[in-house]
Amino acid sequence: MSVETVESSAGPTPRKGISILFGLTLLGLLLFLWLLLGFATNSFWTPNNISNLLRQGAMTAILAVGQTFVIITAGIDLSVGAVVGFTSVIVAWLLAAGVPLWLALIATLAIGVLIGAFHAFGIVRMGLPAFIITLATLTSLRGIGLLITNGSTISITNEAFTNFSRADFLGVPSLFWMVIVVAVPAYIFLHLSRFGRYLFAVGSNAEAARLSGVNVNRTTYLAYILSSTCAAFVGLLLASRIGIGNATQAEGWELQAIASSVIGGTSLFGAVGSVHGPLLGAFILATINNGANLLNVNSFWQRIITGLLIIVIVYFDQLRRRGER
Amino acid sequence: MIGLQEVGHRHELRTPAGHPVPKGEPILELHSLRKNYGAVEALKPATMTFLSGEVHAIVGENGAGKSTLIKLLTGVITRTSGEILWCGEPVQLATPNEAISRGINAVHQEVVLCPHLTVAANMFLGDEMNRRGLMRKRAMTDAAQGVLDDLGFNLPAGAVLGSLTIGQQQLVATARAAMRGTQFLIFDEPTAYLTRQESEQLFRLIRRLQSEGVTIVYISHRLEEVFELADRVSVLRDGTHVGTRGIGETNEAELIALMINRTIEQIYHKEHFSAGETLVETRGLTGPGFADVSLTVRAGEIVGLYGLIGAGRSEFALGLYGRHRLSAGEVFWQGRKVEIDSERKAMELGIALAPESRRDQGLCLNLPIGLNINLPVFRKLTRGLTINRAEEAANADRQIRDLKIKTPSRRVLASAMSGGNQQKIVIGKWLSHGAKLFIFDEPTVGVDVGTKAEIYRLFARLLEKGAGIILISSYLPEVYELSDRLHVFRQGRLVGSHGYHTASHEEVLAQAIGA
Repeated sequence: MSVETVESSAGPTPRKGISILFGLTLLGLLLFLWLLLGFATNSFWTPNNISNLLRQGAMTAILAVGQTFVIITAGIDLSVGAVVGFTSVIVAWLLAAGVPLWLALIATLAIGVLIGAFHAFGIVRMGLPAFIITLATLTSLRGIGLLITNGSTISITNEAFTNFSRADFLGVPSLFWMVIVVAVPAYIFLHLSRFGRYLFAVGSNAEAARLSGVNVNRTTYLAYILSSTCAAFVGLLLASRIGIGNATQAEGWELQAIASSVIGGTSLFGAVGSVHGPLLGAFILATINNGANLLNVNSFWQRIITGLLIIVIVYFDQLRRRGER
Repeated sequence: MIGLQEVGHRHELRTPAGHPVPKGEPILELHSLRKNYGAVEALKPATMTFLSGEVHAIVGENGAGKSTLIKLLTGVITRTSGEILWCGEPVQLATPNEAISRGINAVHQEVVLCPHLTVAANMFLGDEMNRRGLMRKRAMTDAAQGVLDDLGFNLPAGAVLGSLTIGQQQLVATARAAMRGTQFLIFDEPTAYLTRQESEQLFRLIRRLQSEGVTIVYISHRLEEVFELADRVSVLRDGTHVGTRGIGETNEAELIALMINRTIEQIYHKEHFSAGETLVETRGLTGPGFADVSLTVRAGEIVGLYGLIGAGRSEFALGLYGRHRLSAGEVFWQGRKVEIDSERKAMELGIALAPESRRDQGLCLNLPIGLNINLPVFRKLTRGLTINRAEEAANADRQIRDLKIKTPSRRVLASAMSGGNQQKIVIGKWLSHGAKLFIFDEPTVGVDVGTKAEIYRLFARLLEKGAGIILISSYLPEVYELSDRLHVFRQGRLVGSHGYHTASHEEVLAQAIGA
């Protein structure tokens, strides 16, 4: 008892040691994949390819972190891919209209906040299931984006904006730095602040949380706003990377984000999850795609492999959890 | 079987295979039957015999192992060791289906049927009448109505089950079991939700089933029912089978002594304190599920709320705690009129609620004990942006130590704890938060006797420090022995108030039932 008191953490991860172990297993899997690809291909360990890999994984990773907040509350956010496409249109549109860059960025993020607030409103006030309200915005946002652009794309001429995603900082792609910019506050929020604890409590038993004085509605708003804002942020990064705003971009990214989160140990039943898990999950997926490209594996196979991987990893994770009980 | 002339020949054939056992011969025998959950012994090796055609009552306190025994007999859980003989032959009883196919059925206290289907559909569920793959809905409704009428239940077979009262639903569940060629029928506290009239109907049905040769196991807290119905009675205590008696050779006093094995004074630790200032006063409080409730709680006293399940006591508590919107009435807190419109407001005033259901309202089961204990106080543990982790750990460990919660670590999930330890976690939450008025809603359901006594001593410690307590319980001896003031609820209204020991058990019960 006293020994454990010293190391001091009643964190939301039960059996902290095992959680770290699981994180290490994922990290081990990632490193194993990298080693394997290093032997199997000549081009994997080239600076160019590594940069490319980090860029590919970065956007899914940020989406997955936002998604994880929602899933921990036992919810789901299906709209994040659509939000990415929609916000890429918004920022391109604002820039084309001559709005200053800083204002366009803030306004686009604010749109993300609004979308998240709308999701939470639907869940809290209208009593809709999270699956339904976010599915509805998934299709509506694509529609609104297409209306704005009249079905085409808006090119972005602001070079400061488009150069950003191609830039490196300290030899690491700026897009990867953005993962760190999101992940560090996310870690503090989820694992060190009381709001993180509230997310877990709401996901575990909302009524018990409410009767313990937790503002369940506010916590729900928080989770969905964070998810949508992360998605809007990714929308900015994507617009910067491809230099256009297009409402049909990022199709299916919500599933990538959910898959990353789940591979990273998040439970779709709520109350189980972390920040480092989805990050690793996102880069594992990115590595598989990257490796499959290098190995000239048919891209259709990539999808099949990703699916199988989700089944295997989540199955073993559940075995581990059952063993704990 | 009952009313089967209407149901048709097919159902009559469902009488399970096996030799018919003559009345009075053993139909089901348990030899050293044992069930462990991890290290917890829910049922210690029990050897019991059920005789064909008898009504065999099983009594015992909450947590005595009654529900474990039922689950074992109905195949819901599998035994750790021991042997079960059915009609003289060893059986597995590994799945509910096996139990049902052998003719063993149970009617549970909480109805486990489909509330959105009709009464008839529920009665035939899993055994529908078909013609060429299509359901014969009308024929089933008619057949079901026939059975219900024959049983003397005044219930429409075409009604949606959920539209009936819980008592009526229970009658449907009983009819369903009776229709299925049951040889051995277990009733788990069937009268908890029933009105007196419904109880009478149920008793008539039980006697009738018995006369048709069905063996009945009847589990109840209510000893008067046991003496009315049973031929023999077995007593369980702390997972141990402590004896079986013929009903003619025992009496209530002996059964109670067997059940609790200690005197009432030993269990119900009660200290009297002089009542202090008035903490809370409600005037004509009305909300969902309760109406016009006026009562006061003073520092240093326990105010007991007694009534049947669904009488509005928990609803009143939730209303006072700000969980439900009040529609009329006033609340005065320490003499000052207050509007309690949220749980947080109640907490800030100094009200704490340990709710009725640990599983649904009290605990985040798949989270660690430490997080559960700290949930109400994270605000206090926050320094700047983040939680002070040392304080967080120290607070959890302090409650675990003070309340003697049996866990190796605060990181163990709450779901891994026994009922008694879970209740201590719920209480621990509010001890670390601190409050002036503690509302305990059914604090000892599913809690072992030892922990019960600890909880009652804890009450005395809280009172000593100047707190007031509202104690809600469906177990009359508990509220009767502990309450300085006892209020009786019936159908959402306060129908009687008594001082400490100023009314008899019978008077209080009569008020609660409305006799």
